Amino acid sequence: MSTTQFVSLGFNWKTGLLAPGLLLVTSSPVFAHNIEKHFKVEPRSVVTIHNPNGKVVVKAWTKSEVMVIATHTSDKVEVDAEQAGNRVDVTTHQLSETISPEDLRADYQINVPEDAELQIHDDSGEVTVANVMGDMNVETVGAGVDLEDAAGYLTVKTVGGSFQCVRCAGRLEVSSISGSFRLLSLRSYHVHAQTSKGNILFDGEFLPNGIYRLKNYSGVIEVHFSPGDSFDLSATSLKGKVNNQASLTPPAHPDRISKFGNAILGTFNAGHAKVELSSFDGTIKILKRD
Amino acid sequence: MATTTCRSFQEQFEPGSNSPRDVSVQAHLRDCPACRSFVEDLGSIRAAAIELAGSDPEPSAQIWISLRAQLEQEGIIHGAAGKGWFADLFRGHLGALPRPVLAGAYLSVLLAVAFGLSGPINSRINRQRWLDGTQSSTTPLSAQLRSFENDSLTSRPDTDSPVTASLHSNLEIVDNYISLCQDSVREEPDNEIARDYLYEAYQQKADLVAQLNER
Repeated sequence: MSTTQFVSLGFNWKTGLLAPGLLLVTSSPVFAHNIEKHFKVEPRSVVTIHNPNGKVVVKAWTKSEVMVIATHTSDKVEVDAEQAGNRVDVTTHQLSETISPEDLRADYQINVPEDAELQIHDDSGEVTVANVMGDMNVETVGAGVDLEDAAGYLTVKTVGGSFQCVRCAGRLEVSSISGSFRLLSLRSYHVHAQTSKGNILFDGEFLPNGIYRLKNYSGVIEVHFSPGDSFDLSATSLKGKVNNQASLTPPAHPDRISKFGNAILGTFNAGHAKVELSSFDGTIKILKRD
Repeated sequence: MATTTCRSFQEQFEPGSNSPRDVSVQAHLRDCPACRSFVEDLGSIRAAAIELAGSDPEPSAQIWISLRAQLEQEGIIHGAAGKGWFADLFRGHLGALPRPVLAGAYLSVLLAVAFGLSGPINSRINRQRWLDGTQSSTTPLSAQLRSFENDSLTSRPDTDSPVTASLHSNLEIVDNYISLCQDSVREEPDNEIARDYLYEAYQQKADLVAQLNER
């Protein structure tokens, strides 16, 4: 496989030179390391990104090539981008035992083919992915995750980071402890979203035979529907409220309604999709779309 | 003739029997596709269990002894006159395991507990059994998790990174939910939803502690 690479290592004086007065009080000058690498890849390539702290922006383009542009200011980290077959691994390495979070920071701008598969690990900072149609796995601690026009099998796991998905399709599984989710203009046939102390907003299509499971401990689960939608609904909040604006046909087996908490069960239109909403002590809202 | 609901049918149905004795129950089974499917599912599970038992016989005690000796030799567990390494897991030997093994072991135990409980509890509505079952499974689990958490946190140098701080603050959130869920299960022992939330909170805690330990 042909691999074309070039590396440009630029040192951009950010401060100090522009403000001479600052040099007097700054013990070491701050400059950025810019690294750019290109890798030729085959269809369905895999790109892995491991970055402890910083911004990761991934965009699809039409070239059969992965381009990695990395920026970091500290000498205590090093950025590596290597190719192994049809896989490109991008990693931020820590060069010192003791390192401050700010020194650990590296920012990436990565372009990938549309069908690339992504595996991203970014503890803190921000992850943005646009127009990538391959499968995707994103794990963060505090970093927020923002997907746009993504498809494939999408799995996102954060501890405290929020998650937003706009015009996503395929299959989506997202979990968090305290992150909130916004699922907008979704066209997914399978959505499983679970957070403990976060809100969940679902404003998308309910596809026929689709399964939509939204669950939290506390916070608000808000689902928007249109008059033409078709779904079976089950909504239960053990200690909280359920506010429903959908006119539901009662279930054939009313005894299937949980005797615990506040629960609503029924069918909207023909019930082609399955919608399961569950909260421990949060509020569930099923609202007509404006 | 008294009508039979799905709930009363599933309470009266004996998994081992092929056909219910009560006429009203038989009639319900004939007319209700959901309960027919329920009975078919049970039959499939039973058949699969029999097949599994036949194809995967219980290993001899010698295998466990050899396995234990091997693990001791490799330093993965420490020797003690024990009754089996599974029992040792709950006796404080978890600290000797490598971290990935630990995290995996915790999750496996959690899952085993959750699934193990769901069978007997689903079949009979008995508050005391629910309570006993839940307590007997979660008390050692909770204690073990707490001990693992203490060990991991005290053995690590203090770090003030925002990531570690975030993990700690989320651990507090999960601990709070565990406490709320425990209260809820105590109030309504047969509340399956509360129990599910409790088990999930334990899983989240195990996951978070493992993440903290990896740093």
